[in-house]
Amino acid sequence: MSTKSISEAALYAEDLHKSFGGIEVLKGVSLTAQKHDVISIIGSSGSGKSTFLRCMNLLEFPDAGKIRVHGEKLDLSQNSRGGRSKHVQQQIERIRSCLGMVFQSFNLWSHMSVLENVMLGPCSVLKRNRDEVEVQARALLDRVGMLEKCHMYPDNLSGGQKQRVAIARALAMDPDVMLFDEPTSALDPELVNEVLLVIRELAEEGRTMIMVTHEMRFARDVSSQVVYLHQGRIEEQGSPEQLFNNPRSEHLQRFLSSQY
Amino acid sequence: MFELLINYGPKLLDGAVMTLQLTFISVSIAGLLSLPLAILRRSKNILWQWPIRLYVSFFRGTPLLAQLFLVYYGSGQFRPELTELGLWWFFRDPYYCALLTFALNSTAYQLEILRGGLQAVPYGEVEAGVALGMPRRLLYQKIILPHTYRIAFPALGNEIILMLKGGAIASVITLLDVMGHTRRVFSQTFDISVYLWAALIYLVITTVFVLVWRLLERRLTRHMFYQRDIKRITPVEATSTKMEASNVN
Amino acid sequence: MEWFEYLSFGDSGWGDELASGLGITLSLALVSLPIGLALGFAVAAASVSERPVPRIIAFFFTTTIRGLPELLTLFIIYHGVGLLISKTLKWFNPEAGFFELSPFVAGAVALGLVFGGYSGEVLRGAWQALDKGQQEAAQAIGMNRLQIFRLIEFPQMLRLALPGLGNLWINLLKDTALVSVIALSDLMRIASVAVGATKKPFLFFLTVCLIYWVICIFFEWCIAKMEKRANRGIRAS
Repeated sequence: MSTKSISEAALYAEDLHKSFGGIEVLKGVSLTAQKHDVISIIGSSGSGKSTFLRCMNLLEFPDAGKIRVHGEKLDLSQNSRGGRSKHVQQQIERIRSCLGMVFQSFNLWSHMSVLENVMLGPCSVLKRNRDEVEVQARALLDRVGMLEKCHMYPDNLSGGQKQRVAIARALAMDPDVMLFDEPTSALDPELVNEVLLVIRELAEEGRTMIMVTHEMRFARDVSSQVVYLHQGRIEEQGSPEQLFNNPRSEHLQRFLSSQY
Repeated sequence: MFELLINYGPKLLDGAVMTLQLTFISVSIAGLLSLPLAILRRSKNILWQWPIRLYVSFFRGTPLLAQLFLVYYGSGQFRPELTELGLWWFFRDPYYCALLTFALNSTAYQLEILRGGLQAVPYGEVEAGVALGMPRRLLYQKIILPHTYRIAFPALGNEIILMLKGGAIASVITLLDVMGHTRRVFSQTFDISVYLWAALIYLVITTVFVLVWRLLERRLTRHMFYQRDIKRITPVEATSTKMEASNVN
Repeated sequence: MEWFEYLSFGDSGWGDELASGLGITLSLALVSLPIGLALGFAVAAASVSERPVPRIIAFFFTTTIRGLPELLTLFIIYHGVGLLISKTLKWFNPEAGFFELSPFVAGAVALGLVFGGYSGEVLRGAWQALDKGQQEAAQAIGMNRLQIFRLIEFPQMLRLALPGLGNLWINLLKDTALVSVIALSDLMRIASVAVGATKKPFLFFLTVCLIYWVICIFFEWCIAKMEKRANRGIRAS
């Protein structure tokens, strides 16, 4: 890959390693997401795909590797105790604010209403004007079909509704890249579609997205690129047609046949 | 510091015996009274429910010291009447008054704990007993009470410790428990170290009690530990599932 | 004299004296509360620290405070700290007289220590019960440590800790009665003085009990209201 495309990539990760308690979960994973890419990461549970995603916005700190966001290199230095300098911490916070993250378990703030959940990030992190933010937040909630519930609290919503709010919350930061960590895995089957619909719309409007998912059909439909992770390594990677129709690796073939 | 211990140590130990006695007797009386009262408190009959509610609220809503003064000094206001009833020997004695007050106080707290325990008994298990045709007595004996006490056990332990510590105010009405002896020694010697020895005695008593109570609890809740052991997972599987769990979160 | 005359306000009755005692009781509780809360937060922070030394200190502090009778803690502070200050003063200036800690200060410090020991445990429990996912979500949008604490963790901790702290506040109110033993003219002490003068112990101690009872019921009601407010939006599980 040319250096130019690396420096222009929306998100670039190289050779990420991560271990938990002596077990190596990521054994050197690299990925480049150009602007408008929709990349799906698939793989069986335990393959490290969630860890990989979480490493990219540093919710997990990779043991080794490089990460660049819009060509800006992240300083991954930390002392032996896991402490980081103030400068490093500030860079991480700034980078995180331009990577939107949607969690499997929603993680809405339970003490705040739907609207407050969406507004908190822009108000507190970006220090934007409250009234402006509210207008934008309402528009976003309207987009995900949650405007009429904007004064309710998360506990009174269904899983699908919670996830749609969580997506609106991530969008409110106006992120360059959206990261989805199995956004539909915790949902009842009948609620999956309402969430996928929202994600599909985002993909179609040209958002850069990276998602870990178990929804194979959905991944095939919306992705520009699919990555198959197996035991902490990328085993196969390419266009959806290539991976789903002509899987070359034996593991992927077995994995796909177990999915349908 | 150790000189003081040689001179007054035996006194402090006498005090410890008194402290333990006061606590043990009053907590036991309360233990006997609280169960029937807790069951009555749950009855739908207002005639039972409200007096008990009032009793609990009063004893939990006022300082133990005020209750003790009310019983010990307050009874003096009715000395002629009490003498006539042949009860004055009881109320003139600070020891009996302390026992009575502490028992009444602890009953209120234990009652409330047991009420919570009774409420938390899984209804399905009671129903299963009913379906077997168990009579009420047997239901309580075999299903409801074992559950109740298992649930209430840690809270009851806390209550006993609170009583043990709260009991120190008996020294104010001249009883010579640990605190009583301590105060007396301090007024004679003005040696601050007596407080530290007293603190040590209380800490030893509470620590030993906590350990014993925990051991008892372990025995009472054996069935829960047993269950955990049955699920045998091979080490590799265990770590990998754990890994995945930490990933998704 | 009738019962109500004893309790009337004015020269013949003890009503005004009791009211001033109540004032001291309540102000003692109100002064102890912030001391105790601050201490409780410090203890909770120390006990979830990654370093062992603060953890050990917090552990010893809480077990000691929770293992000692409140009355003993009060005496240790009242006599012990007083003596300590006296000795220090003597060391600097041999002419200095005997320093006695004011009963109010001793009471506030002792009750604050007790509240701190217990509330430390409550707050630690609340901290550990927080949903880590919600903290992560805050991290993921780029909040810094302070913002996460102020906007996410702290409000949720308060909600989780409120029932426990409410209980401790009620206990604190009741424990104020203990300071009467070190001669602070609180409600309890005034009642004892009144008993000495009037020989009506039952009347006065019953009155004291009723006053405490009313205060406790009032605060229980307040706490229930606050809990309801704090729990809006949280489904009862």
